[in-house]
Amino acid sequence: MKQYILGRVVRSIISIFAVVSIACALIYGLIPHEKIFNNDPTWKKIASDPVASITYKYQKWEDLGYVDFQNAGDICKLAGDDVDYNKCVRGTTDAFELVKAEWEAKGYTVMYKDDGTAYVKQGIDFYEEQPSLCKLTETGANYDECVKTRNSDLEKAVSSYIEDGYVLNYYNTGTLYAVRENTVPEIIFGYISNLVKIDTPWTVNDASNPNLERKIYPGLDHNNIPALKCSGCESQYLLYLDGKFPFIHQNIIKLNFGISYPTYSGLGTMDVIGQGQGDPVKNEVHYDTGLTAKSAVNLHSCKYKSSSTMSSDDAKKFATNYADCDTNKKDPSMIGTSYLFGILGIIVSYGIGLPAGILMAQKKDKWQDKLGIVYINVMIATPSLAFIFFMKMLGNKIGLPDKFPSLGFGSIKSYILPVIILGLLSTAGLMIWMRRYMVDQANSDYVKFARAKGLSQKEIFNRHILKNAIIPIVNGIPASIVLCISGAVITESVFAIPGMGKMLPDAINAANNNMIITLTFIFTSLSVISLLLGDLLMTLVDPRIQLSSKGDSR
Amino acid sequence: MEDKKVVLSARDIEVKFQVRSRVLTAIRNISLDIYDGETVAIVGESGSGKSVFTKTFTGMLETNGTISNGSVMFEGQDLTKLKTDKDWEGIRGAKISTVFQDPMTSLNPVRTIGYQIAEVIMKHQGKSAQEAKEMAIKLMEEVGIPNAASRYDEYPFQYSGGMRQRIVIAIALACRPKILICDEPTTALDVTIQAQILEFIKSLLKEYGFTTVYITHDLCVVANVADKVAVMYAGQIVEYGTVEEVFYEPKHPYTWALLSSLPQLGTKGEDLYAITGTPPSLYDQIIGDAFAPRNPYAMQIDFEEEPPFFQITPTHKAKTWLLDPRAPKVEPPKAIQNLHERLSAMVSKGGGYHG
Repeated sequence: MKQYILGRVVRSIISIFAVVSIACALIYGLIPHEKIFNNDPTWKKIASDPVASITYKYQKWEDLGYVDFQNAGDICKLAGDDVDYNKCVRGTTDAFELVKAEWEAKGYTVMYKDDGTAYVKQGIDFYEEQPSLCKLTETGANYDECVKTRNSDLEKAVSSYIEDGYVLNYYNTGTLYAVRENTVPEIIFGYISNLVKIDTPWTVNDASNPNLERKIYPGLDHNNIPALKCSGCESQYLLYLDGKFPFIHQNIIKLNFGISYPTYSGLGTMDVIGQGQGDPVKNEVHYDTGLTAKSAVNLHSCKYKSSSTMSSDDAKKFATNYADCDTNKKDPSMIGTSYLFGILGIIVSYGIGLPAGILMAQKKDKWQDKLGIVYINVMIATPSLAFIFFMKMLGNKIGLPDKFPSLGFGSIKSYILPVIILGLLSTAGLMIWMRRYMVDQANSDYVKFARAKGLSQKEIFNRHILKNAIIPIVNGIPASIVLCISGAVITESVFAIPGMGKMLPDAINAANNNMIITLTFIFTSLSVISLLLGDLLMTLVDPRIQLSSKGDSR
Repeated sequence: MEDKKVVLSARDIEVKFQVRSRVLTAIRNISLDIYDGETVAIVGESGSGKSVFTKTFTGMLETNGTISNGSVMFEGQDLTKLKTDKDWEGIRGAKISTVFQDPMTSLNPVRTIGYQIAEVIMKHQGKSAQEAKEMAIKLMEEVGIPNAASRYDEYPFQYSGGMRQRIVIAIALACRPKILICDEPTTALDVTIQAQILEFIKSLLKEYGFTTVYITHDLCVVANVADKVAVMYAGQIVEYGTVEEVFYEPKHPYTWALLSSLPQLGTKGEDLYAITGTPPSLYDQIIGDAFAPRNPYAMQIDFEEEPPFFQITPTHKAKTWLLDPRAPKVEPPKAIQNLHERLSAMVSKGGGYHG
């Protein structure tokens, strides 16, 4: 049994990684690089500035893993002692500098092409490139030296980059930058290898705080509840307890899906969907310096802040460098919201679907059965979007809000329509199958024998048929929870519910690559885990199924 | 035999089924008395109405079937008048039990064996769960389940086929019924288990003294277990008598044909006899003798008028015009003459069960 579950878990993890890799390959391989800037407000502002736009573009691409990008400054700094940093950054030869100064003195502006060649342009009829500039000069500069675009120091510094496959380019100010495009396998490998982050006491690397202690120790949190703390880790609390589900929380292993961009720019994607939403909630907080204040700070979430960025305000509140904390928000996170709606939807759909299916089977061919079949047909024939809007319209008539945020999380009215819609959408399938299984079982030999035993129809249904018919249904419960969560994409979008379901189309529209991969990962994991859970649940209700690896049962 | 009490008496039973918009007459005016302690075998080919006929004793006709005529008298009650589950309480499963052919599927796969036995005890005898459990374990021991107490909580899939059939029989006998209907109880079992189960039912019969109705198309089983035999064809009993009379002195051409086509009685090197044609459609009105179109001895009258029962001996009767004094004398086919010697030779060899 243990062996079987272990095997399943390993295979599940492998398949999750396979799906993430495929998603990664599709998204990074097929979506054009430029598309990601379409929804970026910062990009719109700086797109016309030739220097800033290039830097911004390549830096974003580097953050997302598309390219490796180096500025002349970095290239020259890393080149070593035998390269003169200043000369290296300047890039051009002394001879050309003289010529350039001469032209500028005459009132011309010297510009540079992508290959580093300088040119001067005035109006429509004056245009000269570097060779002619060097020829026309009156300073007597050496022509051969003057036409060179790099000096020997820069030449030395970039040689290793050229070997590594970087392409050298120039801003129109003449400064050099180097870019190397990553191949899709490299991007995927980089992504996967950074996926799991384990927090250890050696994680923090802060030059401004060389005396940082490195240890893991049991301690008390601000509420005097025992917790596992750490010095030198990124998070202050490795393990802690609080009143929120699932009550024990850990910060040791984190999944890192990269940053969200262009929407929620700069935040990690997991933070975007995992952190609370809405207005901050202020509580009485006791800082470890003894200071008590009303604040929304979530002391369990505090992360290391380097000594150089600690403000005096931070020092007043925090005894250690762990001062970078999240705030408590009023509303649940996107994940929490989706789960909430998923679970409520499931309760509604099973609460309606199962009894209705059972009733239909019991009253087979009677009016109850026929009515149910009409309902199922209507539900299957109606496109879900049409059904959602129809229900929304009905709801509006009786005064329910047609958008979730209009009354928000606080009001029960906000939930009614989306939950009922989510629930009803999956009732039809549930009813069909429940009825089908019940009818199948009702025709089986053991039911005939149970009748011959003298049991009444009701006793046979309750004691024998139901237990057999429910087995395949039980197997599907976890899967339908997943379906409800991920299937809420349309419902959440229509009602503008701030959940994961709405996040997916939003992320696709905004070309938020990492967010799409994150959601793919979450939905995939849920599906795979739910299959496993379904099979495990089945062993509880069906005595014939045992998860031993004995024989060739698989 | 005459002085024995009649436990169940079926009179002029007619059963009709509504199939799509057509009416099928499955049973056409059957009358049969079943005597206390007797074993009656009902034989006939598939579709002859054997099972349907016995289902009228327990009210287990499919929902589209109705008893359109006749009565089944049992303990002073007409069973055909009982409709609801409540009416049947105390009779079905308590006084008249049924064992079906497939023990593999007769038990609920996800309920424990013990539960399924105790359930029927609690239902019909009003015992508490604890008492029922004790009785069930005792019953399991009686039907020969080793370690009954520890196997009480096991599931059917943990039992072998023979053991499951014993459990099915134990459940059927849990309330000491008056009549046990065995609907092809051994068809799904292999030959050795078949023999065991038949012996087992026989031994229980001695102990409990119930009346048994076998439904089978296996004539060797009949020869082995039955006192009386009823041969059915197209929804009617065509010959009825003691097992000796029907096997050794058969009078109806259908019984002749049936016996002639027994593979065990075939002569090596000769083609096995087969009845030509197919049974008549039960949707249509049958005129005359239903077997007439397939009957090589058929006379003109067979196609025109239904034959009555002719009493041969006090216990033996057959429904064929051949017994009319005006009919020509016809010898039964050669294959079934001196059947007595051949059959008793086979039964004594213990080879009577290869079906």
